[in-house]
Amino acid sequence: MAKTQVDDINRSIYNIKNEDNYSFKMKKGLDESIVRQISKMKNEPKWMLECRLKGLEMFNKLDMPTWGPDLSCLNMDDISTYVRPKSNLNSSWNDVPEEIKNTFDLLGIPEAEKKSLAGVGAQYDSEVVYHSLQEDLLKKGVIYTDFETAVREHEEIVKEYFMKCVPAEDHKFVALHYAVWSGGSFVYVPKGVDVEIPLQSYFRLNSPESGQFEHTLIIVDEGANLHFIEGCSAPKYNKVNLHAGCVELFVKENARLRYSTIENWSKNMLNLNTKKVMVEKNGVIEWVTGSFGSRISMLYPMSILKGENAKMEYTGISFAGEGQNLDTGLKVVHGAKNTASVVSSKSISKSGGIATFRSNVIVAPEADGSKSNISCESLMLDDWSVSDTIPVSNIQTDDVEFSHEAKIGKISDEAIFYLMSRGLSEEEAKAMIVRGFASPISKELPVEYAAEMNNLINLELEGAIG
Amino acid sequence: MKKMVVLNETPRRTSKSFGINNIKIENFELPELKDFSNVNIETEVNIENTVHEFKPKFSIGEVLVNQIKDQANKKLYINIDKDIKKPIVIDFELDETQNTLVDNIVIRAEEGKKGTIILKYRTKNDDVQAFHNGVCNVKAKANADIKVIILNLLNQKSENYYSMNNKLEENANLEYVIADFGGSKTVTNYYSSLIGNTSNNTVNTMYLGKEQQLLDLNYIAEVYGKKANIDIEVYGALKDNAIKHFKGTIDFKTGCKKAVGNENEYCMLLSKKAKSKALPMLLCSEDDVQGNHSNSAGKIDEDKLYYIMTRGISKKEAQKLIVKAKFNNILNKIEDETLKNELIEIIDRKLDY
Repeated sequence: MAKTQVDDINRSIYNIKNEDNYSFKMKKGLDESIVRQISKMKNEPKWMLECRLKGLEMFNKLDMPTWGPDLSCLNMDDISTYVRPKSNLNSSWNDVPEEIKNTFDLLGIPEAEKKSLAGVGAQYDSEVVYHSLQEDLLKKGVIYTDFETAVREHEEIVKEYFMKCVPAEDHKFVALHYAVWSGGSFVYVPKGVDVEIPLQSYFRLNSPESGQFEHTLIIVDEGANLHFIEGCSAPKYNKVNLHAGCVELFVKENARLRYSTIENWSKNMLNLNTKKVMVEKNGVIEWVTGSFGSRISMLYPMSILKGENAKMEYTGISFAGEGQNLDTGLKVVHGAKNTASVVSSKSISKSGGIATFRSNVIVAPEADGSKSNISCESLMLDDWSVSDTIPVSNIQTDDVEFSHEAKIGKISDEAIFYLMSRGLSEEEAKAMIVRGFASPISKELPVEYAAEMNNLINLELEGAIG
Repeated sequence: MKKMVVLNETPRRTSKSFGINNIKIENFELPELKDFSNVNIETEVNIENTVHEFKPKFSIGEVLVNQIKDQANKKLYINIDKDIKKPIVIDFELDETQNTLVDNIVIRAEEGKKGTIILKYRTKNDDVQAFHNGVCNVKAKANADIKVIILNLLNQKSENYYSMNNKLEENANLEYVIADFGGSKTVTNYYSSLIGNTSNNTVNTMYLGKEQQLLDLNYIAEVYGKKANIDIEVYGALKDNAIKHFKGTIDFKTGCKKAVGNENEYCMLLSKKAKSKALPMLLCSEDDVQGNHSNSAGKIDEDKLYYIMTRGISKKEAQKLIVKAKFNNILNKIEDETLKNELIEIIDRKLDY
């Protein structure tokens, strides 16, 4: 039978390696002296060092997860937790060192900034090398800086929110994050301000056998609106790299936040990221996620709908190719009346890749009138790949509408036959079906990213004999 | 000695904090076993009182499996070597003196043979504190066509642990109809291995939980055969403080080309304090299959209730009507009218306040 041949993601741009040039690379492993040293180098206030030490304590105390992908390939003694690039924070691209600038140029970041972004942050290894924000947003009081600057210049507000959404006790890797965090973004959108054009942070990990632990904290104040995009990539090395970032989001009353992620780590990356949002009354969070890279991903954005009428939308796609184990999904807690969640998740697995969808929907006893609808679809392109769906629901009140549905399968012969009867070749028909499968997600992305995603799923469909 | 036991492990783990990987029963104690003779059997075929050991791949839990293996006080071996017209009925009644039943039932259906087996587990009255740990093993040879009806009608004070292990050969058809109504704790483990090509396994379960009842259902089907078909339908209603965990897994193994699996769970919540957890898993390592699952939970549609009430029926009766209507498809799979009416009566009684 003819098999659909979907090519691997074309990674040539992402794979450009720069020499491992750094001004400082922390010795491998993790202990208290390393944590203290990072804090000292960043010249942090004492409370932040205490947060780090708390993280270290929890990291040593907590067990590895007893579920999900096998993480035995990870050995903290082989990972350098802090790598400072040979660059300071710049506010002009011209000041960024040539080598680093070239990398971001190739990834199209400055180009995108000119065309369609209101602000850009770029992180290289452990430190942010570039940050900018449009003048008029600055005047409206919008804050968009790297996280270190935020700790220095907006200490009160950072202190108020840092670690409040995601506690260090959550799991082992978020504890690790708190111990050694470096870089990341801080965004504050004041009351009623509508940031019409998206802000974007791009994370690049160049140094081999190292980890990236950026912290993102976004506060969208009452009635404000923001679209934030994060992109990530790294060149491929033979040794394991680790990404354990943490994203803490606060959506206040009547506010709206769209958080888009295009994750394209290299296939030696362990992506153990944590994202969580607190949504107040009438607030809206929209997650848009594309997971294409990494060797192992464990990523489940969590939404706490704590105010009445708060809403969550999740649109995600993952593409697991050869040697990849992408374990993704979401968690949502309906904690107040009339909260709603809508989830649409898609996955494609091929060439032995493993795509797993996990979810946990909790409807608390006080969340009367809540609605939750989850739908997942999985497409398998050959018979040695794996696609699993593991959804949990926990309903604790009667006044709720909860439904979940999932489908697994290959491209249906009937659909191909139908399109062929309309004059398409078999290959064209299959290509159209796969693109159609991914289109609800690509529609949600900004134009440049939709184009990038189409690049990523470089659908050169050949009628190989399977 | 009382201890905590862990039962009904799911084939794939999730985070411990979700509380659905298994069910922990505190203060569990295996009771002293006596002989059990309160059983009434109607049959056309010869039933023997010895069975062979069984080794389930996914068991309800070691402590219960070992009890059955070593100490079963009722063993029945049913060999269906001819087509049977009238269902085999095995009716267990637990009372004050015979309040513990550990039964090991093996049903072997020979090639191309047909038959229906009804297993009833009842308590004599509402005060008996019964303990039931049982297993029903079905081996359906090629082209066999077997229907098994399992009725858990124990009272609210009893403990009920039950396993079903099935193996389906080429083109075998195995249909289960299960009513899980009784037991302060009801832990049910269902495992089917669809080895034969074009084998077909359907499971229709209805459950009812009230007061402090705890139901933990763990259904697992492994699909190996080409064009095999598995259908799992579970409908239930919870009132008062009842808690239900439903875990269903359809595992498509590499090679089960053109297999189809459907899994559907629907939970009606009749009280604010009832709690429903569900984990309907689809595991898939074969592309040429169709797998669907859905689950939903919520209260009874207000409009429907209102409509029925405008016809002069009380809210309670209207609720009962709607629940029974949901169960109707499953009830209709029981051909015996007397038995069906008996079940409807029990549903009515359980839904009364």
